[in-house]
Amino acid sequence: MKRQAGWLTKILPFPSDELGNVEVLDNGYKSFTKGLCIILTVLVLVPLIIISVLSHNQYQQLLEEEELDQMVLNLEVAQSSIEAFIGELTSVVQFVGSSDRPEKLLSSKELHSVLSRLQKVYPGVVDIQLVDSSGMQKSYAGPYELRKHNYSDQIWYKDVLEKGVAISNVFSGFRNIPHFVIAVGRDGAIAKENCVLRVTVDANTLQDFIDKIAAGYADDMFLVDSNRISQTKPLKYGKLGGHCVLHDSQDLVGDGIKLIESNRIVVYERMYKGDAINHGVAELKDTPWKLVLIKEQYLHANSWVLFKIRLMTIFLSCAIVALFVIVEISYALTAHIRESDEKRQKLYSEAEHTDKLASIGRLAAGVAHEINNPLAIINQKAGLVQDFMEFSGDFDNKDMMAKAVDGIQSSVERCKTITHRLLGFARQTDVVSEKINVNATLRDVVGFLEKEATYNQIKIDFNLCPDTTDIFSSRGPLQQVFLNIINNAIDAIGHGGTIMLSSRQINEDRIQITIVDDGPGMPPEVMNHIFEPFFTTKETGKGTGLGLSITYGLVKKLGGSIKVKSKLGKGTVFRIALPVQYKEPAV
Amino acid sequence: MIKSKVLIIDDEIEFASTLCQRLKLRGVAAIDVHSGTEGLISLVKMNPGIVILDLKMPDMSGLDVLEKIKEHDSSIEVIMLTGHGSAGSGVEAQEKGAFDYIMKPVDLVELVDKMKVADEKRSKA
Repeated sequence: MKRQAGWLTKILPFPSDELGNVEVLDNGYKSFTKGLCIILTVLVLVPLIIISVLSHNQYQQLLEEEELDQMVLNLEVAQSSIEAFIGELTSVVQFVGSSDRPEKLLSSKELHSVLSRLQKVYPGVVDIQLVDSSGMQKSYAGPYELRKHNYSDQIWYKDVLEKGVAISNVFSGFRNIPHFVIAVGRDGAIAKENCVLRVTVDANTLQDFIDKIAAGYADDMFLVDSNRISQTKPLKYGKLGGHCVLHDSQDLVGDGIKLIESNRIVVYERMYKGDAINHGVAELKDTPWKLVLIKEQYLHANSWVLFKIRLMTIFLSCAIVALFVIVEISYALTAHIRESDEKRQKLYSEAEHTDKLASIGRLAAGVAHEINNPLAIINQKAGLVQDFMEFSGDFDNKDMMAKAVDGIQSSVERCKTITHRLLGFARQTDVVSEKINVNATLRDVVGFLEKEATYNQIKIDFNLCPDTTDIFSSRGPLQQVFLNIINNAIDAIGHGGTIMLSSRQINEDRIQITIVDDGPGMPPEVMNHIFEPFFTTKETGKGTGLGLSITYGLVKKLGGSIKVKSKLGKGTVFRIALPVQYKEPAV
Repeated sequence: MIKSKVLIIDDEIEFASTLCQRLKLRGVAAIDVHSGTEGLISLVKMNPGIVILDLKMPDMSGLDVLEKIKEHDSSIEVIMLTGHGSAGSGVEAQEKGAFDYIMKPVDLVELVDKMKVADEKRSKA
């Protein structure tokens, strides 16, 4: 069947296309192994790579989303905590401003009393003072010697007049320490006398609070004002009172992802000095500040690198194991295919040989039959001449003529032997199954040849296993097989030598007979042809060249097998394996 | 001494005539014909006791002729000649009533011996 040459054939060539040529065949098997390795590797590694990349990306995306969610959550918690803290402080200041009469707060003693009460709850409160509608300080309680300051140009003062409540940025001012101001208008009465209550809070209060809530979940957390001036001390990203180093629209990673979780929270992904960071900014309600929270991205941190190393290790381990298995499987498969190809080739050769023998057999039978008839005539004519000579009296040269006719008769006899053997070869003698002891049969056959062997000083030894089971076979053909081989051995040895006959049980179904001679042996070119009809190395007239081909056919007919080994100068070994139970060979 | 008349049926004229001649030299009343049909005709004319019959002939096979002979006279003893050297064919012929078979090229001594036995068998019958 002709195979279609497709793309697969190019990658995976059929190894057994060139059965005759060993070199081409070897290359074919190598190409097949290589092709199989490549295909299996692609089949295994491509899905492995796809799965690894997908897992990597999916996990990365998941981590990014989780990180951002965590960031927003942290920001929300910090935002609400700071708002609550500032709101509480503002409420307290508002309460103080609303619950007392202005006249009372004008009294320094009273104001000190309020301050000390406030400081008991909020130690960060530095001082407290009352300011009138023109911005002039009316009364003061605190550690500083502040008298009659005018705050009319201060931003917080303008804010409080406008909004009723004001919180200032952190500044040093007259006190020369970082602080911020919470100012409230009294009863919402704008532009009235003694209308503003101003409380100064130490900036450290804010710093401590930020530090407390930042611990654990932020790499850096600080407050900035609307101009990005740091209000608390950043750990890494700027300095107190300086500009925050992170800009809203610079250094954004990739497509500059800007995630807005709500109106008051924005998260940026940035690269800062080679580190990937998430930069979150949350507005703080009712304050002039924004909360800045910075976290290094987990994906670019060591743990993520470790994850990637682990993933790569698993991938490489799988790939190496897969490659090892693929190579082993490819070689094993090729070996199996090669073995079956070789078996097929052997069977094909045997079939070819059998077919050749059968053809020659048919030809031989035809030739023998055709020759037999004229031979019979020659035989009768010569016989007639002999008859005439016998019945007539003496005449000249009668003896010589009688010898000549005898010569004709002996030649006819020789031809008869040949034609009968030829016909026997074609016919292969009918097989009649009976119980046979192979050892006894061997001894019987040797009995026929003993005289000839003795005459040629050839010793015939036996090494017969007494336990071999009797076989069911055909006696005549079996005797002929042994006779032919032993006869050949005697002819091969010529003069002086040994023939060893041995038998053994191979298994319960088969026995083996070995015939070894120490004759001159055969070269391989002779050995390859010994079972072919008319092949002989004997001198002309001595052998028909049919003995071993008949033997081969008979052994096959008996369901057995025959093998020969020979070494020049050492001798020849024939091994015949026969079935214990005769079975009609398949046609 | 063979008393029965002997009919030789063989398509090989030279073989049949020479064999016939040799038998005559030995005092046997023999006649040769060269086809199955001729043989069956001669059977009636000659009334032989022994027939030497070739297995393979162009017009009729030896086995067919054998059957006709046996139909005509079952006491006639038939010795088959076969160029096949096939024991199977000889045995088959014997199953159909042939007295014996002999392979070509024929050993005359052997043939005469078989004929003698056949003749004795006939004379006893």
